[in-house]
Amino acid sequence: MNAPASPPSPRARRTLLAGGRGNAAPGGRRARSLQARLLALVLGVVAAVWAAAAALTWIDVRDELDELLDGHLAQAAALLVAQQVRDLGEDDGGRHHDDDHGVDAPSLHRYAPQAAFQVFHEGRLALRSASAPARPMAATRAGFSTVTIDGEAWRVFAARGAERDVQVYVGERARSRASILRAVMGGMLWPMGVALPLLGLAAGWAVHRGLAPLRRLGRLLAARRAAALDPVALDATPAEIAPVVDALNGLFERVGALLESERRFTADAAHELRTPIAAIRTQAQVALAEADDARRRHALQGTLAGCDRATRLVEQLLTLARLEASDAPALHDVDLGALVRGVLADAAPAALARAQALELDAAPGCVVAGEPTLLAVLARNLVDNAMRYSPRGARIAVRAARDAGGRVALEVDDSGPGLAQPEIDRLGERFFRIAGTEASGSGLGWSIARRIAAVHGATLDAQRSQRLGGLAVRVRFA
Amino acid sequence: MRILLAEDDPLLGDGLRAGLRQLDFQVDWVRDGAAAERELRGGAYAAAVLDLGLPRLDGLDVLAAVRRAGVAVPVLVLTARDTVPERIRGLDAGADDYVVKPVDLHELAARLRALVRRAHGQPQERLAAQDVELDPAGRTVRKAGRPVPLSTREFDLLHALMLNAGRVLSREQLEQHLYRWGQEVESNAVEVHIHHLRRKLGTALIQTVRGVGYLMARELPAGSRSGAGIR
Repeated sequence: MNAPASPPSPRARRTLLAGGRGNAAPGGRRARSLQARLLALVLGVVAAVWAAAAALTWIDVRDELDELLDGHLAQAAALLVAQQVRDLGEDDGGRHHDDDHGVDAPSLHRYAPQAAFQVFHEGRLALRSASAPARPMAATRAGFSTVTIDGEAWRVFAARGAERDVQVYVGERARSRASILRAVMGGMLWPMGVALPLLGLAAGWAVHRGLAPLRRLGRLLAARRAAALDPVALDATPAEIAPVVDALNGLFERVGALLESERRFTADAAHELRTPIAAIRTQAQVALAEADDARRRHALQGTLAGCDRATRLVEQLLTLARLEASDAPALHDVDLGALVRGVLADAAPAALARAQALELDAAPGCVVAGEPTLLAVLARNLVDNAMRYSPRGARIAVRAARDAGGRVALEVDDSGPGLAQPEIDRLGERFFRIAGTEASGSGLGWSIARRIAAVHGATLDAQRSQRLGGLAVRVRFA
Repeated sequence: MRILLAEDDPLLGDGLRAGLRQLDFQVDWVRDGAAAERELRGGAYAAAVLDLGLPRLDGLDVLAAVRRAGVAVPVLVLTARDTVPERIRGLDAGADDYVVKPVDLHELAARLRALVRRAHGQPQERLAAQDVELDPAGRTVRKAGRPVPLSTREFDLLHALMLNAGRVLSREQLEQHLYRWGQEVESNAVEVHIHHLRRKLGTALIQTVRGVGYLMARELPAGSRSGAGIR
């Protein structure tokens, strides 16, 4: 059953989806309006219940009617049989029957043609009603049957006298029963038929009223500015909408946090690039004004060093930005030992230049689920930091092994000055720099390493190196 | 003019020191906040260039600490922190100027000169005493409108005396104005430079206060106008 196209429906749909602007949600067809859906369901259920009730009534009434009318037929047949038997008994042998006209009983009522009876005596038609045919109405000698006479269905009851050969048929047009049934059902159905549209209107109004909080939410959302990320607040949030509102507010919160982190990142990046740019500019200006060759060379080299640093900083910022934007990368089985060996091979020339000794102790079978490129960045950052913050001639030992619990761990120890606990605690802060170092780090390396570790479900911690006395950084994979 | 530079970035610090030296500043460079505070309390600087993001002690804390201690050295904050609230906080903490990186060296020098001039109550860029005129930016000196060539040290000495005109400066104070760290100070250098200045600019310009130091009067003792007085 279709919902009537009641006036509130299209408007409600427009209001509800006003925030969407487009005709259809991206990637899917738009579902029917909730209002139309509710209305269709309510009216469908009501109509089905009514229909079921009507069907049951139909069956019930028909059975009752059959019982009652069949009873009447049987009763009439019994009367006729009794009458005939008595008549025959009184006029025993003396009475003769007239011609065929004599057997016809008068038609007493205008409904009489709906019913008929026949009385046969010794195989001869003794009496019949005006509507009855001359031949026996039914083939059976006793009991009920439904027969077709002149193309019409009749309900016939046959009975016969016990001694004399009296055969009585009492019949009734089946059509008359059907018309009673129709009349009864009609009396019941037409108020229903009239009530249904009224019910539809009433249900439409009720559903419309009921959905008002949803429309209010829609209006509230449609009116929001793009930048507004404060929680949505409805005066009285119905229990059904509360999860939606809660989810929306949760989403707003997450988007807000993301935006805030982006904003902070941009500000941090701009801030952090100012110093290298200032250095480049200053060194260039010094070189421009310097007459002394050696000092001009020094300033020009400073300019280049500044460019290199700015480049490195930009690369690190981009790496971090990509890391923060990406979700979980696809993880493969990565042999940590082989990966770290490659990283150390790349770092070896720089270590050689600083007279630093790189050592690798990689146990076989240190396989972790990871993204190789990211893990290489992680290892490179750790090794890079160890080299950068250790003096010339320092030792840097890298170890990949399984601990007692079977977890794979990557450790980078150095023999540098190490860090005091307060500095270790601040390592996670973006752009935190170690005091008193000549190294021009940005503090981003640690942020990157930590982020990569987090992506892999690994933990990253730093402490004083038991082996070499400097800093020990450990990545423990889950 | 002796300047304290507090900057933790090696490359920028190196560049600023070299650049300011090119512009005839005497520059001492410290790389953390604690050292900056210690040097500023020492008090021998005409001005300071202070980075805010310093290790060990933040520049703002340095500033607040030395201002609490009554150090009046003009401080120019040179920082990457560029938001308005940060500028306000910097100036309120006691900075005399707030410059966001990067900065042009000449502008930085001009701002430093202006800070020093204002700190000494000099309204004009050029300093004048008696018939001698000193242009700190152009590093020229004229006597009665005629240029007088001076060596760097002679100029710095004259600059210090003129900035503090009417005040007695001790030999040690003058030495601190002239020499940065690691420069050998000859025992009688100040006397030698004073002697040269007197020869070039006239004996009446700089007076010796025996046992105390040297004094430059704004006006000649027998001048027509009454002097600004001893400050």
